[in-house]
Amino acid sequence: MPGLWTMVANDLRQRIRDKSVFIFSLIVPLALMGVLSLVFGGLGEDTVDLQPATIVASADDADQLGAALLGAVDSLQIMDVTIKRVPAADVRNETQASGADLGIIIPEGFSNAVLSGQAASVQLIEGDNASLETGVLISVVQGVVDQFATGTVTAAAGGLSGLSHQDLAALAQQAAAGPVLLTLTEGQAAAEQLSLRGTLVAGQAGLFLMFTVGFGVLGLLAEREQGTLARLRSMPVTGGAVITAKACTGFILGFVATTVLLTAGSQLFGVSFGSPLVVAALILSVVTAATSLTFVVARLVRTAEQANVAQSILAMVLGIAGGAFFPVQGTGFAATLLDLNPIGAFIRGLGISAGGGTLGDVTGPVAVMLAFAAAGLVLSRLLPDRGAQA
Amino acid sequence: MDVVQTQTRDVLDVSGLVRRYGDLTAVDGVSFHIRTGETYGLLGPNGAGKTTIISMVAGLIPANGGTVRVAGRAMTPSETEAKRIIGLVPQELAIYPDLTARENLKFFGRLQGLSGKELTRRTNEVLELIGLSDRAGDLTKKYSGGMKRRLNIGIGLLHRPTLLILDEPTVGVDPQSRNAILESVERLSVEGMAVLYTTHYMEEAERLCDRIAIIDEGRIQAEGTRDELITLTGGVDRINLRGGGSMSRAAEALRGLPAVQHVDNDGAGLILTVSDGPTALAGIVTGAGHAGMSVTSVEIVRPDLESVFLHLTGKALRD
Repeated sequence: MPGLWTMVANDLRQRIRDKSVFIFSLIVPLALMGVLSLVFGGLGEDTVDLQPATIVASADDADQLGAALLGAVDSLQIMDVTIKRVPAADVRNETQASGADLGIIIPEGFSNAVLSGQAASVQLIEGDNASLETGVLISVVQGVVDQFATGTVTAAAGGLSGLSHQDLAALAQQAAAGPVLLTLTEGQAAAEQLSLRGTLVAGQAGLFLMFTVGFGVLGLLAEREQGTLARLRSMPVTGGAVITAKACTGFILGFVATTVLLTAGSQLFGVSFGSPLVVAALILSVVTAATSLTFVVARLVRTAEQANVAQSILAMVLGIAGGAFFPVQGTGFAATLLDLNPIGAFIRGLGISAGGGTLGDVTGPVAVMLAFAAAGLVLSRLLPDRGAQA
Repeated sequence: MDVVQTQTRDVLDVSGLVRRYGDLTAVDGVSFHIRTGETYGLLGPNGAGKTTIISMVAGLIPANGGTVRVAGRAMTPSETEAKRIIGLVPQELAIYPDLTARENLKFFGRLQGLSGKELTRRTNEVLELIGLSDRAGDLTKKYSGGMKRRLNIGIGLLHRPTLLILDEPTVGVDPQSRNAILESVERLSVEGMAVLYTTHYMEEAERLCDRIAIIDEGRIQAEGTRDELITLTGGVDRINLRGGGSMSRAAEALRGLPAVQHVDNDGAGLILTVSDGPTALAGIVTGAGHAGMSVTSVEIVRPDLESVFLHLTGKALRD
């Protein structure tokens, strides 16, 4: 297309010169990211460092399952645990006196009770300074005890079935002493979910992308108002080249601004979005979707002022619904609509990428964004150009 | 003795041009042509259809009927070759405020196919022509209205178009800049450029245009040279007599004179339509005095394009 890159270069030069693109595409979103990050404080921390914990415990050394329970607690990899063994009668006092996190009393004959299908009770005493570590330890003990309970139930069921005493014991032992079912692994709640800070950075980048791409196609309306569009149309360039140049301008600005925002955001707020290749594919897709929307807006409005208002409304609606400020969930049709939101798809894609996803893993969000772009382009071709009719 | 042969041909041929907006027919069967070196004026009031005609001639909007041919090529919005030989100066200022004059010129020059040294040379020439060389590096948003107007015209001239289209280029311009613009157009015409010039200022059309089309309600009401158009009024002059005394008796007396065709009494004086005003003037003043009117001032208004427009449409050009 003759003149295409001449027009793109001219548009970029003007946008850079009037500085508005820097303000709306970089400075404001970065400032907003900072403010939101401060407001939400530590909620968005990616990891919590658990402090070393102390347990005061009583258990018979010969009790196989009791030893296994304490062993499970002692072998936790997510925190250092020190176990102080005392007689059962001293556990409560020692827990309080030493400021331990948790006291555990494993009754005598615990293994026999479990293996014979009888009731057995493990007593837990929370320390006076019960903390997050105390909660974690209780959860671990509960998980191990639940597994032991499986042995008890198995033994009880065997008894009802008329099995011999030796067979019952063997069966219960197999059930109770099997591999530990409860394991703790460091990581995120869901593989596709960004941390709160990650969501803020990605969301703000997606939200302000909607404004940034507006500097492209919507610039047509400004040119119409300042008279330069008539002059462009009198030049030996096609109308398609003029519109394509505007789209390219918006696309380039959108791609650069989003890349800078994600890069700066990840550095400033300690967020990682994963493979640069996957992130680049996601940025290209969301910028394409956002650019297509500007074609629709350009058809619907008559003036640059109307375009700015419409673009702002769409940006806020899509940004908020996509989770730019906080996660938004819906059910049924609402959930389907939310899934089709390109900003939401962008944030989902970054979540997958941050969790180690590859290009193949983000095909879903990418497909949503490209489908949105295609729908926008088709819609813009079908809508009458209200601005040209004005 | 040198023999200079001037080859003239139609640079622009407009035939049966029609443009409708819903039920409104903005341009209704307009036809005209412009030859090399000719300045052709479209004279009419605001809303007459001049800009719509220009828009179709420049390929900005499609016509609903008729044809526009520029140097033999059909002009349509998708046509690019014909657009290489036209230069459009829109009525609205069509310049980028955040670019300098030089940047504006170079941008539009590149779109017109200029590049390299030729682009630089033409940019400098045009800056000189429009008197902006000293301010070429300033952002145009800092320019005065007249400077912007001159740049607006300069962009249209940059690629040396065969046909220059100027749409009301002096609207809102101070007298000094206006005169500079008119002088530029005169110079271009002398250099052989065909010019299509729209205006609702009668004086501009009379000064610049070799031929003039009087436009009203989307139609050409009359077309020709200034003198040809004036003959349409019958060649009558208007004489305004101002004064006091018995104006009613004077009006009655003057109606009897052979040169006087019509007399109006507007209370402040008499307005006479006469054939050959200068010759009849002495008899008219004497007759008015004898009838009891004390004449304090006399004005002879020769027929002009305003009179022609009034004669053809029944309304003033600036209505």
